Amino acid sequence: MNIEILWQDFLGILPVVPQTIALAVIIFLLSILIGTVMALIQEYNVPILIQIVVLFKLFLRGTPLIVFIFIMYYSLPGIVNFFTNLLSLSYNANNISPMIILIVAVSLTVSSFQAETIRGSFLSVSHGQIEAARSLGYTPFQAFTRIITPQALVEALPEFGSAFLVVMKAISLGFMITVVDIFAQARLIASSNSYYIEAFVVAALMYWGIAVIVVKLTNKFESRLLSRS
Amino acid sequence: MLNIQNLKLSFGEKEVLKGVDLNVNKGDVVTFIGPSGTGKTTILKCINYLVEPHEGQMQIGDINIDFKNINKKETLKLRRNTAMVFQQFNLFKNKTVLENVMDAQIAVQKKSKKEAYDKSIDLLGKVGLLDKEKDYPSKLSGGQQQRVSIARALAVEPDIILFDEPTSSLDPELVDEVLKVIERVAKTGVTILLVTHEMDFARKISNKVVFMEKGKVVEEGPPQQIFENSQNERTKKFLRKFYAKTNEMVEAK
Ligand SMILES: Nc1ncnc2c1ncn2[C@@H]1O[C@H](COP(=O)(O)OP(=O)(O)OP(=O)(O)O)[C@@H](O)[C@H]1O
Ligand SMILES: [Mg+2]
Repeated sequence: MNIEILWQDFLGILPVVPQTIALAVIIFLLSILIGTVMALIQEYNVPILIQIVVLFKLFLRGTPLIVFIFIMYYSLPGIVNFFTNLLSLSYNANNISPMIILIVAVSLTVSSFQAETIRGSFLSVSHGQIEAARSLGYTPFQAFTRIITPQALVEALPEFGSAFLVVMKAISLGFMITVVDIFAQARLIASSNSYYIEAFVVAALMYWGIAVIVVKLTNKFESRLLSRS
Repeated sequence: MLNIQNLKLSFGEKEVLKGVDLNVNKGDVVTFIGPSGTGKTTILKCINYLVEPHEGQMQIGDINIDFKNINKKETLKLRRNTAMVFQQFNLFKNKTVLENVMDAQIAVQKKSKKEAYDKSIDLLGKVGLLDKEKDYPSKLSGGQQQRVSIARALAVEPDIILFDEPTSSLDPELVDEVLKVIERVAKTGVTILLVTHEMDFARKISNKVVFMEKGKVVEEGPPQQIFENSQNERTKKFLRKFYAKTNEMVEAK
C-alpha cells in the first residue's frame, strides 16, 4: 500500500464528506418523520391507510434497496408529473435530480424499519403514567409532548443510532444513479489513478470514523437521558 | 358536593357497575370496601372519567354531567377538579420528584414557574421529601414514591382526591408513612374518596364507609354502623371473612 497515495486519496475524498453526512441527516430525519406517521396510522388503526401502510412495509422490507432505487429512478418523474398535471402546475419532473430520487427511495425504505422502532418505544411508556396525566387534566397533546415522547425517545435512541449508520451506508448505492458520496468519490479517484485498494481503504476508514462519532454521541446522549430513569 | 345517580358501566359484556348512587359532602372522607373485582376502582375512575360509564349523572360542585353525552370540555373540567392517587404510584419517570409535582401546575393550571416551584416545595415539605427534590422516581422507595404522588395530586388543588388502594403495593413497613400523610391530608378538609383494605385505618379516618359487592352499593353509613353494628348479612359476612383471613396471615407469621 502506498502511503502517499493514501494521503492524496484522503484529500480527494474529504470534500464529499460533508455532503454525504448532510444527505444522511436529511434522509434520517425524513425516515423518522414518515416512520412516525406510519406508526400513528397503525396505532390508531386508521381505516384504508393502515392497509396501505402494512402492504407498503411488506414491499419495502422484501425488496432489495438497489431494486427500489431503480424503480424510483424510472417511475418517480412519471408519478410527480401525474400529480403536477392533476393540479395543473407547470413543473416538469423529467429533469428531477437523482439526489432527490435517492432521498425518496432510501427514506421510504428506512422509514419502514423506523416505524417499528417508534411504535415499540411508544408502547414502552406505561399506561399508568398516561392515566395519571389524564387524571390531572393534561390534554392528550400535553401528555404526548411532556410525558410520553421524552420517554419514548430514550427508548428509541440506540435504534436511531444504528438506523443512521444504515442510512450512511445505503447512500453509497447512489453511485448507480450518479449521486456522488464517499464511496462514489473513492471509485472515481481509484479509476483515475488505478490505486484501488488505497482509495477503498480510505473510504472504509472514513465510514468507520463517522460510525465511531455517531455511536459516541448516541451513547453520551443516552446516558444523560438514562440517568433520569 | 359530589352526587352520583344511577352510574352504570360495562366492559364489553361484563356489567361492572349496576346503577350506583352516591352522595358526598364537602370535607367527607368516604371509604369503599368490598371483595375484589366488585368495581371499587372503577367507580373512582368514573369520577375522573378514566373509564367511560354508559349511563348516569354526576354533579361535582358546579359541574353537571350526564355520562350519556359528555363532551371534551366537561371531561377536562372534571379532571381538573379531581385528582387520583394510584396503587402503582404512576409517577412520571422522565421527571424529577420536584418536576412531578410542578408539571401539572404549569401545563394544566398555567401557573408561573416560580409559583409552581414555591407550591411544590411547600408540599414536598409536608410529605417529608424535601431532600429528594432532585431525584428521579426510580431512586425512591415505594412509600416515598406514593408520598410524591400524593403531593402531585394535592398540587392542582382538587376539590376531591381519589385514592385507589394507596398502600396495597407497598412493603408492610412502608405502609404507615403513607397512611400518616393521607391522615394529614384528610385533616386539611379536602374531600377524599378512598379504596382500601386497611380496615383499622378506614374506621379511624372515614366519616362514611361504603360496602360494595358485585357492582352495587350494599350498605353505607358511619364506620361504627358498618364495622360494629351492621344488620346486613352480606356486610357481616364480608367482614368476618376478611378478619379471618388477616388473622390467618398474622398467625402464619
Ligand atoms: N379495562 C378493563 N377491561 C375489562 N374489564 C375490566 C377492566 N377494568 C376492570 N375490569 C373488570 O371489572 C371488574 C371490576 O374491577 P375493579 O378494578 O373496579 O374492581 P375492584 O373492586 O377495584 O377490585 P380490587 O379490590 O381487586 O382492586 C373486574 O371484574 C375487572 O376484571
Ligand atoms: Mg381495585
